[in-house]
Formats: sequence, structure tokens, C-alpha cells
Amino acid sequence: MSNKEKESIQLLQGTLDLIVLRTLQTMGPQHAYQIATRLQQISDRLLNLNQGTLYPALVRLEQYGWIQGAWGRTESNREAKYYEITKAGQKALKEETQTWRRMSALVERLLLEES
Amino acid sequence: MKHLRRLLVRFSLLFANSRVEAELAREIGAHLALLEDEYLRQGMTPEEARRAARIACGGVEQAKQLHRDERGFQALSHILQDARYTFRQLRRSPAFTMTAILMLALGIGATTAIFSIVEGVLLRPLPFPDPDRLISLGDVTEGLHCASCAHSSVTAPDIRNYMRDTKSFSHLGGYRGRLFELSGVGEPAAVNGARMSGEVFAALGVPPLLGRTFTQHEDEEEQQVVVLSYGMWRNRFHGDPNILGSKILLYRKPYIVIGVMPRDFEFPLNPGHVNQSEFWLPLSLRPQEFTAGSAASWNSRMVGRLKPGISIEQAQSDAERVARETMRDYPAFMRSIRIHAAVTALQEDTVAQARPLVRTLFSAVIVVLLIVCANLAGLLLVRAIRRRREIAVRLALGARAATLLRQAMVESMVLSIAGGAIGLALAAVALRVGVSRLPQTLPRINEIGLDWRVMLFALGLALLTGLLCGLAPAFAAIRTSVNETLKEGGRTGTLGSGHARLRSALVVVEIAVALTLLTASGLLLRSFEKMRDVKLGFRPDNALAALYVLPQQRYRTQSAIDEFTKTLLNDLEQLPGVENVGTTSFLPAGGNNWGIAFTIEGYVPPKGAGLNMASMSLVQGDPFEALGIGVLRGRVFTESDNAGSQLVAIVNRKMAERYWPGQDPVGKRLRRGMPETSTPWMTVVAEVDDVKLGSADAETMAQVYQPVTQTVASEGVLASVGELSATDGWIVLRTRMPPEQMEDTLRATVQKIDPQLPLYQMQTMEHAISQSEAPRRFNTVLISSFAIAAVLLCVLGIYGVIAFTVALREQEMAVRMALGSRRSGVILLILSSGARLAAVGCGLGLLGAVAASRFLRSFLFEVSPFDPAVLALSAIAMLLLALAASALPARRASGTNPMLALRGE
Repeated sequence: MSNKEKESIQLLQGTLDLIVLRTLQTMGPQHAYQIATRLQQISDRLLNLNQGTLYPALVRLEQYGWIQGAWGRTESNREAKYYEITKAGQKALKEETQTWRRMSALVERLLLEES
Repeated sequence: MKHLRRLLVRFSLLFANSRVEAELAREIGAHLALLEDEYLRQGMTPEEARRAARIACGGVEQAKQLHRDERGFQALSHILQDARYTFRQLRRSPAFTMTAILMLALGIGATTAIFSIVEGVLLRPLPFPDPDRLISLGDVTEGLHCASCAHSSVTAPDIRNYMRDTKSFSHLGGYRGRLFELSGVGEPAAVNGARMSGEVFAALGVPPLLGRTFTQHEDEEEQQVVVLSYGMWRNRFHGDPNILGSKILLYRKPYIVIGVMPRDFEFPLNPGHVNQSEFWLPLSLRPQEFTAGSAASWNSRMVGRLKPGISIEQAQSDAERVARETMRDYPAFMRSIRIHAAVTALQEDTVAQARPLVRTLFSAVIVVLLIVCANLAGLLLVRAIRRRREIAVRLALGARAATLLRQAMVESMVLSIAGGAIGLALAAVALRVGVSRLPQTLPRINEIGLDWRVMLFALGLALLTGLLCGLAPAFAAIRTSVNETLKEGGRTGTLGSGHARLRSALVVVEIAVALTLLTASGLLLRSFEKMRDVKLGFRPDNALAALYVLPQQRYRTQSAIDEFTKTLLNDLEQLPGVENVGTTSFLPAGGNNWGIAFTIEGYVPPKGAGLNMASMSLVQGDPFEALGIGVLRGRVFTESDNAGSQLVAIVNRKMAERYWPGQDPVGKRLRRGMPETSTPWMTVVAEVDDVKLGSADAETMAQVYQPVTQTVASEGVLASVGELSATDGWIVLRTRMPPEQMEDTLRATVQKIDPQLPLYQMQTMEHAISQSEAPRRFNTVLISSFAIAAVLLCVLGIYGVIAFTVALREQEMAVRMALGSRRSGVILLILSSGARLAAVGCGLGLLGAVAASRFLRSFLFEVSPFDPAVLALSAIAMLLLALAASALPARRASGTNPMLALRGE
């Protein structure tokens, strides 16, 4: 466990929003548990995040009007709140993605020069 | 955009908390269920799966809290929670809530109303663009001391010189307000108007609502044009949109209306609201205003706008240079007059005189508010003490001090904001009713009202009050010692002595400030009484007065004027109801008390004494009998004292005593002007009583009376070519019946002689006196009502403290009585504790009164601020009231049934 913790990375401020939006865009409506599972899959379990921390991001995005939640049923017939990306969310994702790309390119360049 | 949306959502969630909470619980529950399913699939036991799901989630409550922190405003939602709690608490004790809110409403309402006066009169910038660049310019004459010289004024030559020769002003002009006879629209009427240089409009910089204003060029060309005020346009022309180009008659000369000013334009900024100018016409100084006596009449004022970058000091020295040149060019008869230029900010010039009154009112009302605060703090403290057990229990269960503090603050804030809202409504009502009753000595009355600044002030005041009042109980709450309080159990016998001391201190302070206000009110009442006792020098009963002004257009010659006056006096004398009739240029109690300079034969003024000033009343007929002015010696004027006969004068006692002390003034001689002015001598024929020309509490001037027919002859070089006398005057009648009944007869008699001639300001002399008393009556009534409010609140405060102490000491009383103490002993015990508080408070209050004396002195009349009778009476009254307030709880305490009280706990 302690070994794993060393390897795990901390989430950058604001990236969680981007990840959630992107997940919803590619995977369609998802509930919180699905989003959390997906996150862990993608990050190859590098991202150690307890699933509760997802909720603030969901609230924030919903309050921005970027995603919208609605109650539904899972395959196992459990009830769950499914979040769907909205039109405004699509637009915001595009902008955020660009910002992120510019940012990461910049950091990349900086790191190259340094080394 | 996204942030705005989020802000709105978060805010709205404050009020939908329970719904969102339920939704969240459901969502997290579903999440856990899914996790559990997963873990079960991985082969965990149900027990293990539940645990693992919760761990993966990072704790249910933690996740919920994260959600809450993100979705709403936590601090705010806590405060709302506290507010709801407070509302529940307050509903449970309606008597307390009502008392507290009403008290606050009274305090905040009164303070807000007075503040709106402070704001409208003193603080608000003048209603012109860039008001701080506007200045007033005038002369200050050396050695001249009079009440009406508070504003510096100028002569006609001054206006010309300052406008031509100063370099510091982008615009500078002269103006002069006066009454005009207005005809050509409705009934002939007397209307206030102002003659102004064209530059004045340019300096003020307010564009007209309709049409245009006149220019300096039109002024010099003597164009007969007029600009109307909004009020005149609405009231006399019914807001006619085609008003421009129509004609009105002023003193029967036609003037063309070229513009209408906006509603809030007001100039000159005269005190009161009856003297507001209704129209403006060009100053157009006439040649005769530059010669002879007119050149030495400081009857105009000047206003200007400083050039950019020029300071008031620079403008002052610039103007001073022009003033010196003006003096150099003085004609021989003005040689001894020395003037200095004075440049003051227009704002300062306008409000300086009103400042002491407004400040005093504001301090008085702040005192009332302080008492309200002290009372409320006391009440809240009582509640805090009553709730000590509850607070102790909550502390023991882990409530944080900050939470308790916040709750106490929220409670007092809720009260004070409710009180503030009601107070604001009260202030609005008070202003609606009260503004018309403000004294005529206040300028800018039309600007008083509830604007956003006043509202903000009220809100700020409410918050501040809440904060101040909440502090004491809040700290009392967090200082509650859990152990002690819980150990005490149900017994209330021992009371945290710190709280008791705090409450007593509050009451002592209340008594002290209430007493200060009470003495102030007492002193003002004494002053009012003294003013009422002043000998006015005339008999106001059965006397009627009205002003007339003969238009030059019709009365061009002296003989036409004399004919009118003679017929008027004759006709009036014939009336059955009239005993005596006369005319005079100054009406007693009418407020006109400016003077002119005299030279007295054989009198050598002490060095540096300045000019010998006296008021000059020009009379005809028998105004002495008509007004009931006592003749001390000599004879009154007769018809044979006319233009051709020897010049005569009558002086008052003050004049006689100043210049001929211990001698008979009859036969002495005096003349108009300074020693170097060439004027003929007048012989004194009588000495009369001192007459109050202004209000009774103002100083009496030296007074001279002269037959109006001899005016021109007595003026010598001061007389201008073709000067007419007796063109205006007050008709004064002594009637056999109540003077009001003579008003119509007087009007009819005048109309028979000249149907177009209006009579102005017709009033009984009783009314004139009451008018002159109005300013003093106003501040006396207001301060006294504040004092009464303060004392009542104070009594309430004392009662509260004593009653509460008695309630807490009920057991002690019961024990005392069980052990044989008598009822009277118990009563005495309680009374003496009330009396102790009152005695300390009164001691401090007397010190406060001494401190306030500096403030009050200028409002007192013939009463020392340390008047022992007033101080003693107020202190005794306060003591008695304090005793009365403690008597009720004392009686209740003595009625305690020892057995019941002992068993009760």
C-alpha cells in the first residue's frame, strides 16, 4: 500500500473538471461510480482518489450548467444518478481542452529546455 | 457568465437546503450500493463489502460535507440557520421582541430623520456641477458688527470692479433678491425674484429645462427678459409648453420669458422655503446705482467659479487687490470706510450659519440612540443570564464559543435590522410632516429627504446598533463558566456578579446622558420663557400690518407718490374699526434690522469703534400710536414736519443712552453718513422705547425714526438725482376689533385707490412675533421631545434592572422576611439600590451637562448654562423618576410570600 502511494500522483487543480467532462463526452451519460471506475482504469490506478472527491466536481459542473443529472436504472436494476454533458458543456470542454493543450505544450517545452 | 450562473444557483440553494440534502443522501446511497455489489462480486462477505464501499468513498459524511462546501455558502447558511433559530426564540417572547424593536425603531428613526437634515443641509454638495469650484465673493467692512453681516455683501460699483478687474474666475457675477409685483398672469401678486448678472448662470453651470438663460451681453444691453423657476412655471402657467416668448409684467414693465430652469435649481440659496426666487432677470445696473448713497449700499452679493488651478487663497489675494483699488476711488463721503475682499466656498457660505443648530440636534438625537442601545443591551443581557443553563449545557456538549458568539450577534442583528426598517418608515413619515415646519433659518430645505445616502446611513446605523448591543450579551454568553452554572443547579440565588455590574453600569450611563439632555432641554425652555418675557417695545395686540410697493412705471413723480400715501392714510383713518394708522419702512419683529451710519454732533467715538450704526425707519402718519410704541419724552412727528421744514428725528432709548448718556436727547443733532459726508443736521424731537425689529432674543439696535417726506433732503450728497421717497412701506393699523377682521377692509381700501396694487405679507403683529420666535421654538420643542424620549427610555431601563434584580433575589427576600424583616425594610432595600444607581448617574450627568455647556451656550438666551435652578430641578426629577421606577418592583418584592418563594425552587 505504502509503495503504491508513493507512485500515485496528485490531481492538478482544475483537471478533474476536464477529465469528468471528457469522460461524459466519450462515454455518454454516466453515474458517479462509473466515472470513478473509468478514472481509475485510465490512470492505470496511478490516480489514487477516493470516490467522494468526485462530488464537488459534479456539483460545480452542474452549477455551471455544463452537465445535467437525472435519475435512472443500472443494468443490475439499481437506481443511480446519471450525468450527461450539456451543449454548454461541449463548448466549454472544447475551450478547456485547448487551454490544457497550450498549457501542457508550454510546460513540455520548458522541461525540454531545462534538461 | 458561468460564475454568475453558479452564484445564483448557490444563493438559491440557501433556501432549498433540505431538498438538496435528501437528493444527495439518495445519490450517495446509490453509489454505495453499486460499490457494494462490485465488492460482493469480488467475493467479499456482505459485512466486508459494506466497509470497503465506505472506505472507497472516503467516508459518507466527509463526502457529503465536500458536496455541501462546494454547492453553497456555508458561512451564510449557518447565519440563516441562526436567524431561523432567533426567529423562533423571539416568537416565544413577544413582549421582549416588541419592546426591543419599537425602541430601536424610535432611536434609529429619529436619528435617521435628523441625519437626513444633516445630509441635505450640511453634507450634500451643492446642486451644481463641480460645486467645490463655486465661491462667494464679498466685502467685509472694518469695524462693522451686526447680525445680518454674516454674509459678505457688495455694492453696485463693487460688482462692476470685481467682474472687470479680477483674473481668478472663469465666471463671476452679482445678484440681488427682492420682492416683485407680478401682473399679467392671474391676480397681481408679490413674488420673490432675483436680479442677476448674465455671468451668474454661466458660473452655476446648470442648463435650463426649456429655452435658454440670458447672457452677460443681454444683461448689459438691459434686455427685458426673464427665466422662470420650475415651480413658477408649473403653478402660475400650468406647465404650459409654449411659455417661451410670452410676457409677464414685473412692476408693470413687460419681460419676455426666455427659459425655464429645472425643478431642483435653486438660487440664491436662501434659508427657509418661503424666500425662494421664482424667477431671474438681468441685473442691468442703472447709472444711479453707481452714484451717491446707492454706491455705499452693500445690498448685493456675488458668486463665481474659480478658474482651473486657482485656489481660494489665490482668488482671495486677487480680489483683495481689486478691493484696494475700489477703496482708492471712493468718493469723499466714503473715505473712512475700509473694506476687505472675502472669498469663501459657496457651500461654506450657504451652510455656515445653520451648522450649530443642525449639529446640536444631531448630538441630541445620538444621545437618545445611545440610551436605546444601552437599554437593548441590558435587555439582551437579561436574556443571556436567563439562558445561562442552556448555554452551559451547550458548551458542555462541545458547542464552540464562536458559534455562541455568532448566535448572540445574529439575534441582536435581527432585532436591530427589524427596528431599523420600521425606523426608516417612521423617519419617512416624520420628514413628510416635518419638513414644512423646519425653521426658516435653515438653507436648502428642499433638498432634505430620504435618498440612498440616508437609507445607507439608517442601515449602517442598524448594523452598528446591533453590533454594539450584541457585544455585551455575546461575551456574557461565552464567559459562562460551565462548571459553576451547572453546579448551581436550579438555584438562581447567586448571580454572576460581573453581569450585574455591567447592567448597573449601563443604567448609570443612561441616567447620565438622559440627565444631560434633560438639563439642555430645561435650559432651552428657560430661554424660551425669558424670550417671552422680553419687552418688545410695542403692543402687538390689535395691530395689523401689510407691505405695499408702488411700481415706478405708474408712480413716476414724488407728487403722485405723496398723493397716494396721503389718500391711503386718510381713507384708512376714516374707517370705523381703525384707531390709528401710519406707515413705516421697518416692521417690528419683521426681521429687517440692517443699519446705516450716522454722525452725532459732539460725539467723539473711542478709537477703533468703527461706524456709528443705527437702523433707520422712515415713517408717515402715526405709526407710534398704531404700533403702541411708548414715547418717553418729546413729541411725535406731525404733518408740518415735511420736506420744506426743519429736519427732525426721533431716537430710541438705546441710541440716546449710547451717545448722550445721562442727558436729554431732545434738541441734540445728528446726520446721515460719516463725518466727511456732507449731509444736513437733523434735530431730535423725541425719545421712544426700544423696539425689537427682529426676534425678541436678538440684540436691540440703536434706532432712528424720520418723517419719510424729509428723506431726500436729509440725504445731502447721498441723494441721487431724481430720487423718490416713500415708494414702499408697511401700513400699520391699530384696530378696535380683532385685527384679522380688518384684513379685507384694508385690502378693499387700497384697491379703491389703485386696483392693481397688491398688498404683501398681510399679518397681525401677534403673527409677526410668533414667526420671529419660530426658530427658537423649533429647537426647544425638538430638544425637549428628545429629552422626554431619553428620560422615558431611561426609566424603562431602571425599571428593567431593578425588576430583574428583584426577581433574582426573590429567595433572599423570602429568607429575610422569614427571619423577621419587615415589608418596609424590603421596600427600602430595593429603593435604595435604585437610588444608588440614580445618584451615581445624576452625578455623572451633571458633569455631562457642564461638558455640553460649551455646545449649548449659543442657543441660550439670558440663561447661564450652569443655571442652578435648572440643574437642580433636572437632577431631582431624574432621581424621583428613578425611585418611581424602582418602586413597582420594590412593592412586588415586599409582597413575596416567604413560604411560596422558598418552596418554589
